[in-house]
Amino acid sequence: MTSTTAPARGRPRRTLAPYAFLAPFLIPFVLFTLLPVGYALWQSLHKTARTGGTFGRTRTVFAGLEQYGRVLGEDYFGESLLRVLGFALVQIPVMLLLALVLALLLDSAVARAKKFFRLVYFVPYGIPGVVAALMWAFLYDPRLSPVVDLLRSAGVHADLTGPDAILWSIANVVTWTYTGYNMLIIYAALQAVPADITEAARMDGAGGWTIALRIKIPVIRPALVLTGVFSIIGSFQLFTEPQVFRSISTSVTSTYTPNVAAYSLASGDSYNEAAALSVVLAVVTFVLSFAFLRFTTRRQG
Amino acid sequence: MAMRDRTSSVRRCMLGGVALSLTFLTACGGGGGGSDDAAGAACKPSGGKVTLDYWSWVPGMQKAVDVWNGDNPDIQVELKTVPSGNAGTYQNLSHALKAGKAPDLGQIEYDSLASFRLKEGLTDISSCPGVEEAGAAFVDWTWSQVEFGAGGEDGVWAVPQDTGPMALFYRKDVYDELGMRAPATWNEYADQARRLKKEGKFITHFSQTDPNWFTGLLWQNKATMFERSDDSWKVTVDRPESRQVADYWQKLIDDKLVATDLQGFSPALYKAWNDGEVVTWVSAAWGYSTIRDNAKATAGAWAVAPMPQWKAGDRQAGNWGGSTTTVMAGSEHPAEAAKFALWLNTDPEALEILNREGGLYPAAKAGLELPALQQPVDFYGKQKVFDVFAQASTQVDTGFTWGPTMTDTYRFLSDGTANTIAGKSTLGDVLEDTGTRSAESLRKQSLDVTP
Repeated sequence: MTSTTAPARGRPRRTLAPYAFLAPFLIPFVLFTLLPVGYALWQSLHKTARTGGTFGRTRTVFAGLEQYGRVLGEDYFGESLLRVLGFALVQIPVMLLLALVLALLLDSAVARAKKFFRLVYFVPYGIPGVVAALMWAFLYDPRLSPVVDLLRSAGVHADLTGPDAILWSIANVVTWTYTGYNMLIIYAALQAVPADITEAARMDGAGGWTIALRIKIPVIRPALVLTGVFSIIGSFQLFTEPQVFRSISTSVTSTYTPNVAAYSLASGDSYNEAAALSVVLAVVTFVLSFAFLRFTTRRQG
Repeated sequence: MAMRDRTSSVRRCMLGGVALSLTFLTACGGGGGGSDDAAGAACKPSGGKVTLDYWSWVPGMQKAVDVWNGDNPDIQVELKTVPSGNAGTYQNLSHALKAGKAPDLGQIEYDSLASFRLKEGLTDISSCPGVEEAGAAFVDWTWSQVEFGAGGEDGVWAVPQDTGPMALFYRKDVYDELGMRAPATWNEYADQARRLKKEGKFITHFSQTDPNWFTGLLWQNKATMFERSDDSWKVTVDRPESRQVADYWQKLIDDKLVATDLQGFSPALYKAWNDGEVVTWVSAAWGYSTIRDNAKATAGAWAVAPMPQWKAGDRQAGNWGGSTTTVMAGSEHPAEAAKFALWLNTDPEALEILNREGGLYPAAKAGLELPALQQPVDFYGKQKVFDVFAQASTQVDTGFTWGPTMTDTYRFLSDGTANTIAGKSTLGDVLEDTGTRSAESLRKQSLDVTP
């Protein structure tokens, strides 16, 4: 503000300016994130009361933590949580290792047609989740899949949609979808590794392997941590694949993952319990992500 | 009970002579409150041009809607073709109701009417023009369902569309080749399953996502799942009649005589039909078009016979599905919506289209006289298949009562079935568990449950 404007009038304008710049972010953030979260919290603390017999009128009343008690007391809660935990413990390391290897390969001196491969690996992420799940559903189906047919003719009887295999069939779809995405984050981080460090290492006689293990991976550690956190959150929110697979597999229940359970509860008119479950799931995911961050940063320090 | 009270208070009000509509609404409508009362009390045509949204999954429904739209320029119906109820539409309808964005008209099966009424998702159309007089046009048990068995004292909540009397679809050519006849009893059906297994065939599939199919089997054995009194509900899912059905199918599953890896209505099932891997299906009247449209390679080879019986000489049929057309809560044009719903389900031209395109077996008495329902059907080896269903529909126990949380009850049944297929439980366990959890669901909705 210059001397031509009175300070009294200039000050509010100065404090408003940052908010004007933030508005494009803040408004959708409040509308589509904070408000729904707040509404879920509100719902989770209420329940439906009814007056007047078998088809009486409904009223929403405050219920304290009753819905939370209900969620924690149900069998499906622990079962579905353990299921996604097991899923995360196996799927995330496999996927991130694959993504890291692909990124390092693309970044190495011997790689050819980098742009092409970068795009090819990334394509699965661009395919809508439901479409991808449907496509894989056909590839898994024991009667329709050419892959299963091929395996059968080779003497392998794979029951990819059965109760023992379905979780890992889902893990495969998730890996297929997100490996390229994670690879891209890691690859971008690799681009930031200073060329003079690798140059110096090479002068000292370090080979490709040594450079990757001793220099590149330590430098891109923050990117690996980031993809790890994203993957933990994604695993605990697993929804699309199991929901779609319900139409081809007789092994996916309506409470298969916490998110599928919340969806089923809401459609059975138990909105309040679904809200409580969602809040608990958010807390669990947050705690695990935070623990992962603490764990990885402490090791670094 | 509450509804009945309100109806009588409305009557008292009318007798009291407070006839001016405005006073009437404020004086008497206020007691109960809510959209259904307002609509029930004042179901008047809106005037002017209206557009109605309609969600349905009947194949070919658009053709019937087109006929209506051509004849009624002022009441235009916009059809959205949706997945069948339990495959997602009921969930979407619930969410839409919650969000206040439900369509004017919906398709809801008889078993889910109580659920939707419980969540105040339906409009009582009893006072809409033409509705009360329409009752006589429908097969008695279907009208009783939309009146919730209260003979009009408790409102009219839907217009019946079709019914699903059950029978046995079977591959007559395969049966003939093996020297078998359509089974008279369930025991005979199990013997045939063993015989077919030797030929590398499954007698049928045991779907995990069709709990309402299983309920149809329970219905045949008069195993009502719920009983309703004025103020409370009783859950009767686990009872000797249902145990008999469950134990029977458990044995077929244990002996690997039925295909347990096929979901109902899945491309894989259709392939198994076409390949002759699966050769029978106990299904409803509307199922005739499911087979016709999806097992084209087997045209002419199927036939229809009455459901196998638990006791030789019995004549009992189950019912699977059958839908109603409902005016959803929040519709701004209930009178027009009800008018369309009545036309759709009673007009001979509409009934003919719905039967031809969607294979619907009409709930309207006039519909049963349709010429198409008297004809031999080529796909079924020129058999007059609808004679079988006409007979079956008279053998359906019409006193069957649905619970108001069937979405949950079905969910428990189908989750339990998944566990059974995985070998972790038996169908008997599933009945017990479903009963306990259904009672819990009712309590969660703050309903009284009689133990």
